[in-house]
Amino acid sequence: MEQSAEELNKIEKKDLFTSGHRACGGCGQALAARLVADASGENTIACVATGCLEVFSSPYPDPSWRIPFLHSLFENAAAVASGVEAAYKALNKGPVNIIAQGGDGSTADIGFQCMSGMFERGHNVLYVCYDNEAYMNTGVQRSSFTPLGARTSTTPMGNKTRKKNMPLLAADHGIPYVATATVDDFRDLQRKVKTALSIEGPKYIHILAPCPLGWGHHGELSVQICRLAKDTGIFPIYEIVDGKVTNVLKIPVKVPVEEYLKLQGRFKHLFKKGQPTPEVAEIQEIANQNIARFNL
Amino acid sequence: MEKLPLGLVIDLNQVVPYKTGSWRTLMPVNIMQVPPCTHACPAGNDIRGFLRVLAEKEDYEEAWHVLARTNPLPATCGRVCPHPCEAGCNRRDFDSSVAINCSERRVGDYGLEHNLEHKKLVSGRKEKIAVVGSGPAGLSCAFHLAKRGFKVKIFEAYGEPGGWMRYGIPPYRLPNYILKQEIDNILRLGIDLECNVKVGVNIPLDQLTREYNAVFLGVGAQKGLGIDVPGKDADNVYTGVDFLKQVNSGKWMEIGKDVVVIGGGNTAMDCARVSKRLGANVSVVYRRTRMEMPAITAEIDEAMEERIMFRYHTNPVKLVTDEGRVVGIFSIQMELKEPDASGRARPVPITGSEAFIPADTVIMATGQAVDYDGIDVQTVDNQWMYTNEHLMTSMEGVFAGGDAVAGLETVALAIGQGTQAASAIEDYIEGNVESNLAQPPVVYSRDLNTYYYNKQKQFNKEAVSIHTRLKNFREIYPSFDLKDIIEESKRCFSCGLCFHCGNCYMYCPDSAVKISPSTGGYEFDLDFCKGCGLCAKECPCHYIQLTLEK
Amino acid sequence: MLKQIEGSRAVAECVAMCRPNVISAYPITPQTHIVEDLAMIVGQGKLDAEFINVESEFAAASVVLGASAAGARAYSATSSQGLLLMCEVIYCIAGMRLPIVLTCANRAISAPLSIWNDQQDSMAMRDAGWIQLHAEDNQEASDLHIQAFKIAEQTSLPVMVCMDGFILTHAYEPVDIPEPKQVDDFLPPFLPKNIVDPRSPKGIGLFADPRFYLETRYILHRAMEKSEETIKEVSADFAKTFGRNSGGFIKTYKLEDADLVIVSMGSVVGTIKELIDRMEEEGKKVGLVQICSYRPFPRHEIYNVLKDKMNIVVLEKSISLGRGGILASDVRWSFPRAEKKDRNISSFIAGLGGRNIPMDDLRYMVEKVEKEPVELEFLGLKNELISEKDL
Ligand SMILES: Cc1cc2nc3c(=O)[nH]c(=O)nc-3n(C[C@H](O)[C@H](O)[C@H](O)COP(=O)(O)OP(=O)(O)OC[C@H]3O[C@@H](n4cnc5c(N)ncnc54)[C@H](O)[C@@H]3O)c2cc1C
Ligand SMILES: Cc1ncc(C[n+]2csc(CCOP(=O)(O)OP(=O)(O)O)c2C)c(N)n1
Ligand code: SF4
Ligand code: SF4
Ligand code: SF4
Ligand code: SF4
Ligand SMILES: [Mg+2]
Repeated sequence: MEQSAEELNKIEKKDLFTSGHRACGGCGQALAARLVADASGENTIACVATGCLEVFSSPYPDPSWRIPFLHSLFENAAAVASGVEAAYKALNKGPVNIIAQGGDGSTADIGFQCMSGMFERGHNVLYVCYDNEAYMNTGVQRSSFTPLGARTSTTPMGNKTRKKNMPLLAADHGIPYVATATVDDFRDLQRKVKTALSIEGPKYIHILAPCPLGWGHHGELSVQICRLAKDTGIFPIYEIVDGKVTNVLKIPVKVPVEEYLKLQGRFKHLFKKGQPTPEVAEIQEIANQNIARFNL
Repeated sequence: MEKLPLGLVIDLNQVVPYKTGSWRTLMPVNIMQVPPCTHACPAGNDIRGFLRVLAEKEDYEEAWHVLARTNPLPATCGRVCPHPCEAGCNRRDFDSSVAINCSERRVGDYGLEHNLEHKKLVSGRKEKIAVVGSGPAGLSCAFHLAKRGFKVKIFEAYGEPGGWMRYGIPPYRLPNYILKQEIDNILRLGIDLECNVKVGVNIPLDQLTREYNAVFLGVGAQKGLGIDVPGKDADNVYTGVDFLKQVNSGKWMEIGKDVVVIGGGNTAMDCARVSKRLGANVSVVYRRTRMEMPAITAEIDEAMEERIMFRYHTNPVKLVTDEGRVVGIFSIQMELKEPDASGRARPVPITGSEAFIPADTVIMATGQAVDYDGIDVQTVDNQWMYTNEHLMTSMEGVFAGGDAVAGLETVALAIGQGTQAASAIEDYIEGNVESNLAQPPVVYSRDLNTYYYNKQKQFNKEAVSIHTRLKNFREIYPSFDLKDIIEESKRCFSCGLCFHCGNCYMYCPDSAVKISPSTGGYEFDLDFCKGCGLCAKECPCHYIQLTLEK
Repeated sequence: MLKQIEGSRAVAECVAMCRPNVISAYPITPQTHIVEDLAMIVGQGKLDAEFINVESEFAAASVVLGASAAGARAYSATSSQGLLLMCEVIYCIAGMRLPIVLTCANRAISAPLSIWNDQQDSMAMRDAGWIQLHAEDNQEASDLHIQAFKIAEQTSLPVMVCMDGFILTHAYEPVDIPEPKQVDDFLPPFLPKNIVDPRSPKGIGLFADPRFYLETRYILHRAMEKSEETIKEVSADFAKTFGRNSGGFIKTYKLEDADLVIVSMGSVVGTIKELIDRMEEEGKKVGLVQICSYRPFPRHEIYNVLKDKMNIVVLEKSISLGRGGILASDVRWSFPRAEKKDRNISSFIAGLGGRNIPMDDLRYMVEKVEKEPVELEFLGLKNELISEKDL
């Protein structure tokens, strides 16, 4: 479907994912899920992986979805979506938007294989990863997206490894569209969802979705934290269209990572009596590398 | 209980959502707050209101009506007001204040260009009110009372209405036709105006108190005060206001080649600039420095542009006369010592620093006083009129406002007091107990989330060249472009009131911000709101605040 | 039409005649030939279906899950490790009441790795809420697939058709392959009950808190039990349409006046029947109860046919380690407590990891239980391979 720039930039609020879900107050993932659902519109099927999103949004008898919702397991959203797509093809139904979605754990860890398979086979499915950088649903355990230094319940001394770079891994499957987004810029996020859905084939959108519970910030800061994640270079915003990085969001004024870290309880131990520990410099280095790599 | 469906599959259109509102401990509320511009505006103008109308609807007519709710003289204020609103504007902390004053002028002018008329709120009340004086205080009071249906009559001592707006402020700042149109428009509400009647002299005040249900005194401070120096009674020595009154009455003044203006206020600036336009070399003599001058900065700047000479630290000790005419002044240099009661540095003479300044005319713009002739009300320190908190003087049913009460102030303040007095008079007539509604709090920069605003240059008004402006008394700032002002209005942050940015609506993770079917505005669905505070945090203008759940 | 054909090919052709819309599988011996054949059938355009080559059995099961939830008739096949890798999805499919059909080419489970036949793999899934049908030979294997889709779609329960790996899958036997028209008449098009469709949005796969979960399992259990009727009906229907008996709940052989009854399932019943015939000649009355529907378990049928039999031996190709014969305990459970006292139900485990079950071993088993009941014995065990210290 060709869409005009105007249509792509239109902000959508349809409440296709709506009130009544059990997410924590200020949950970035709940917000992101609604922005995605609303951007994709009524003609959409959501295939959701087990995780916070699924648990807070789909309890019997009052789920929050108003578009068809299909959940089966933690690790197979992409495969289930592949099956749905195959069925639509086989039954000559559609067109329909099929969106597989899940947390960072179900995307990059346990569900990596299913997602990789879906990409490689070329299903016409959009995969959306709600990245809250840990296994939140089970009580904030480390995932391969947990950033360096972050404290989780299984990295009580702070995580020692760097975050897996899923968007680039996705792009290396040769899929036509990859994008990153955060919940603070809903226009951008929704434009990316619509753009993705207008492209035939597998697509991947990686959304940073702050988790007040797991990150240790007050819910009201979820949007601000996204902004800082961008402005520090910690979370670069870009698209990869047919393998080429484009539309990189330039950082207007570069902010030191401390500003980002300090708002979050999971990084609290990185500051001793208000003074940053050496890990902070290492995190700054990661941000700097992002800035250099993507020319932010 | 509902039977379990096969495979627990349910129809999503039939879902009765679970109410998460019970989780809430904090609750978002919409609190309309007073923006600091309005807080600082002595007339209490709904600045945010008219700017939003311009920004959102580009509707000058509606904007005019918004302004006219408080201020019947927007075109006038838009020219002469020292705009304390802009000093208060939150945008100042971001880039530069909104050009409120220029916007007000453009809206006021639009009203005049399109003959927009004021609307009565109520009509046909039988009570009669007498307003003494047709300065901004009297006009404002009459205006607000007439809108509420009262029968109003204004008594004015001079031949034309307007007070100092007419006889003080020179036309290059406020063209007479602008003022006249605005006044006519006010009078069109059915207000009677009788000029050339000086209450207390031509007609006793008690007659008014007898014949009218209430009286408002907006008599201003019409008497010019000079300084007590030898030679002050010479023919070619004027007080500032007398001088301006004569010029503005259309009288040609022979002022000679050299004019010395004594004083540092707005009147002094006006006298100096008028004199300059009458062809003289003008010097302003002031005891302190530019820093301490009470005149509006812009006025001083403009005066300097117009090559008026400023002599600071200079105090006249004597006017040198020759055959009953002043030929110059003897002055002494002053130095500044520790501040006096007014907080300004105290000037002390330096002995032996006397100097002679030649002058064909001396203008003493050094103060004004209330003319109490025939008006026997209690005063404060023998100077300004005493009023209680409802602006009622010592005489029952006689109210007052403007310069006569507040001292030498501004047009806007006079308008504000006129408005206030109108309400007080209505309450007085209706026997209302005071309605003491708590004012909403003022919203300051630190409360705003300025992330959502973009830096943008302020609208800049352009004066005509010095060369042309000194040739005549024509207005020095030509009219502004309608589009420019629309752009400027978009700079307004809408501090403390929703401007429909949609942030709360889009950001609420619980979709608990709904569009009200009745108003079209945003409202909270407390059945679902969890009180996370995201909406409040991301509301740019602080219209949303979190309060403790009841 | 009778064809001399490999078991896998026969099954593939029958599955194709059922017109599945989506097929997804991952290769594992001995299932491979089935999916290769299906891939060819689809590839040649003889079947209009999506054939999804996935990266794992887990994905295969998930793909058919998704496809079924989207309204497709969906099919998969696997074996052994593959089935175990699917395990999570297997449970999920049943809980979601998706009528998927899957072939299990029965094979042993690692470790040690073995590609040869036993029935431990499907046994491991017996509690998942799938109907499990066991084929005796390739004719039945083929026929059961045609029945399976019908049973699944009528009951909203998934069906696993089990056929012994290699012994059936790779065996060339004459099989009567039906005409497509016959199958079309027998098997109506799939009319899914609940599907993901934007025109009528449904929530599928919701989670149930403790207020509801128990009931969902109860309902599923009752559905499994109730599927007995459907299984029988469909089998009877099949017999009517195709003129041969296939499937059903249980089958018996020379049971009437048998003194000793063997209970078993799968391809081994062929050898057992041969033994019974020989022993009959020798004057011994041995009978057979052959279980076709392992889940739901034909408890009442077994009781009904065996209530007068006092000597029963259960022969099976799987074991619950640390407990014993699984089928044996199912059979033992089929008799009310009071009646068990003087009834001997012996348990033999045989053929694990593809070990041949020669007639002699079976004869040994019969003769042994004629003398005394056997709690548990591994048939054909080579003691010489076992070090004393490992026991
Ligand atoms: C030269 C000059 C320049 C100024 N420039 C500015 C400026 O740029 N911006 C600004 O905001 N303010 C300015 N001001 C101040 C401003 O004009 C006054 O604060 C304002 O006009 C006060 O309004 P008012 O209604 O109280 O009194 P006035 O304007 O003084 O009006 C009083 C009216 O009452 C009449 N009156 C008095 N006694 C009687 C009576 N007994 N019976 C009948 N009528 C009577 C008078 O004739 C007069 O018309 C200036 C003042 C002067 C003198
Ligand atoms: C196979 C399997 N392993 C583990 C779990 C337990 N589990 C459920 S959700 C979850 C973590 C989810 O993390 P993520 O995908 O990042 O989503 P989040 O909850 O953080 O949004 C885990 C470990 C499971 N459901 N299934
Ligand atoms: S734990 Fe985190 S991701 Fe889960 S609902 Fe709460 S805020 Fe959202
Ligand atoms: S930004 Fe607008 S509302 Fe805020 S103080 Fe300035 S003029 Fe007033
Ligand atoms: S966030 Fe925007 S729309 Fe919501 S109340 Fe504030 S100004 Fe209005
Ligand atoms: S963002 Fe939504 S849930 Fe949070 S306080 Fe505002 S209305 Fe309530
Ligand atoms: Mg996570």
